[in-house]
Amino acid sequence: MVAWTGLEHFRVGRFNPPPPAIEPDDYVTSRLPLSSSIRGKLISAGYTSLSSISSVSSTDLARDVKITESEAFEILKMANQISGSSSCNGRSSSLVNGARNAWDMLNEEEALPRITTSCSDLDKILGGGISCRDVTEIGGVPGIGKTQIGIQLSVNVQIPREFGGLGGKAIYIDTEGSFMVERALQIAQACVEDMEEYTGYMHKHFKASQVQMKPRDILENIFYFRVCSYTEQIALVNHLDKFISENKDVKVVIVDSITFHFRQDFDDLAQRTRVLSEMALKFMKLAKKFSLAVVLLNQVTTKYTEGSFQLALALGDSWSHSCTNRVILYWNGDERYAYIDKSPSLPSASASYTVTGRGLRNSSSSSKRVKMM
Amino acid sequence: MGFQQVLFSFNLVFSIRFFEDFLLHDLYELAAFAERQANADRLKEGITVMLSLVEVKCRPWLNGMELLEDLQRNKHTLSSGDKGTDSLLQGGLREGQLTELVGPSSSGKTQFCMQAAASVAEKQDGSVFYIDTGNSFSARRIAQFICGSSDAAALRKRVLSRISCHTVYDIYTVFDTLQGLEVALKSQVKMNVNECRLRLLVVDSVSSLITPILGGSGSQGRALMVALGYLLKKLAHEHNIAVLVTNHTVGTGENGKTKPALGETWKSIPHVRLMLSRDHRNNNCTISILKHTSMPSGQTVRTMTRKDNQQCV
Repeated sequence: MVAWTGLEHFRVGRFNPPPPAIEPDDYVTSRLPLSSSIRGKLISAGYTSLSSISSVSSTDLARDVKITESEAFEILKMANQISGSSSCNGRSSSLVNGARNAWDMLNEEEALPRITTSCSDLDKILGGGISCRDVTEIGGVPGIGKTQIGIQLSVNVQIPREFGGLGGKAIYIDTEGSFMVERALQIAQACVEDMEEYTGYMHKHFKASQVQMKPRDILENIFYFRVCSYTEQIALVNHLDKFISENKDVKVVIVDSITFHFRQDFDDLAQRTRVLSEMALKFMKLAKKFSLAVVLLNQVTTKYTEGSFQLALALGDSWSHSCTNRVILYWNGDERYAYIDKSPSLPSASASYTVTGRGLRNSSSSSKRVKMM
Repeated sequence: MGFQQVLFSFNLVFSIRFFEDFLLHDLYELAAFAERQANADRLKEGITVMLSLVEVKCRPWLNGMELLEDLQRNKHTLSSGDKGTDSLLQGGLREGQLTELVGPSSSGKTQFCMQAAASVAEKQDGSVFYIDTGNSFSARRIAQFICGSSDAAALRKRVLSRISCHTVYDIYTVFDTLQGLEVALKSQVKMNVNECRLRLLVVDSVSSLITPILGGSGSQGRALMVALGYLLKKLAHEHNIAVLVTNHTVGTGENGKTKPALGETWKSIPHVRLMLSRDHRNNNCTISILKHTSMPSGQTVRTMTRKDNQQCV
């Protein structure tokens, strides 16, 4: 429908009709994220298309629609942003602003840094380690080593660039209270010792820099948040954007565990699904915007499928779609195994690992196989 | 000036202030009133101007023959890159239709989308627009799907530069992107650029955009979902594009059978619905038809996820 309405426009001297709406009116004012009462006021005053809103000043809008000046200003800002972004003219390489070519992305992907897990078998099936710009979910039964992986990653992300690491800081969000500082110190010490051993080797052949890091420095670069309820968790996720903009070195965000506060005492399951999907989208956005890795640790639950009870990751089917990669940890006899369950570019594979005093390492059974050969 | 007088006199008598009021009013009464006025001609001209505006906004009528010609000339089938799926769908994805892929997590939906994108960009000389909501677009994986082996680097560059990817995280950005795409396509039509026109639009996944707003108080979530569905179908029909979206499944409590997410309202929006399920033991993937415009539902085919370009169509 044409947006030209209202004798009021005549009376105040606006004789020229506004430009016709390119898009149908039905969706236009619903494209502005507004509350329904303000939207109702806009439509009843005759502003049914974005172009009619953007052609008036904020004082006129406030007077016509009977809202405050600041609200009118906000609406105008949003409308101008939207109508500005939809008028694109003649971009040669992409049809719409912001879309990128797959060829450019290929080159970027090859150069993407990865965080090593200190276990070379695990790194191999992960394609080099946990990839940045992705949300990875790691789930398993209690006692399999999820928190150990979390602590190991928050130490490994700080390995300086000269040694092949990222040289970044870590954010550790703890919901269960399972982060142990003594263990982190132990792993940090082992990491520094490994780096010194590597430097010692390099000194024989090349000139390499001295290891400057001490275990205390590593602990200083882990930002630790303790969350005690789901509202705190949601508030923290909303705040992370601002926090990371101020601390640009952060390269990994570990949440241990994401499910704890959502499993008990949540009455409205539909609301839980909504809140969780929104949280997942926020993590995706963080990962993409700041090029960091997000690692979510998850618990397991039993599910009744095909006539038997099976273990599945908690939070249900809707949550299982909210991560880019998924790794499942399980016991096989006496060994701990990791299995890639979901990945856009890696084939499904499993690898074994062990948890030692120095952190995560390759399991020793592979060396047994070498001896047999 | 005449327009102003027309509206003013109508407003005085009939309290017509909005265009909708004009349409709802009895036109004969308006014409009779116009006759009685001094400037009858101007008023009647005003009425015809208003009616012509209505014609412009209205969609044209088409008869069956014109529809058939449009189908044969403009709406071709695009191969999805996999022989089994193509034989199941009698050719593949059809331009002008919205195809939905439903499946539980890690059943191969993103792989299917990337395979279709690679096939369209390489074999059918078309460009692909990929909207990604979960950071799952992997250019490296798409490069593995490219079949031709001669002059690999140049071919890869040419195919990959036809695929453009856009990451979005909420539904309002998707609307902006699609509106921008519509404007760009309309201007492209005027310029008559025939080579490498847009043939495939992928939205992976539409359920992660809609689930945060669906339900709760207010029906705005459902309204936005239906609006998105209609916008996608309109883009498909007007610009002869095949649209592919992915959806996830939810489990119903009583009998444990999984059904597609997004509920009953979304069920009638896609033209074709396919259900994927993966057997984790041997990596076989089963595709079955839930709904199709010209084939019975229930037919299935079994395929395997491709590691590289060995089983090209």
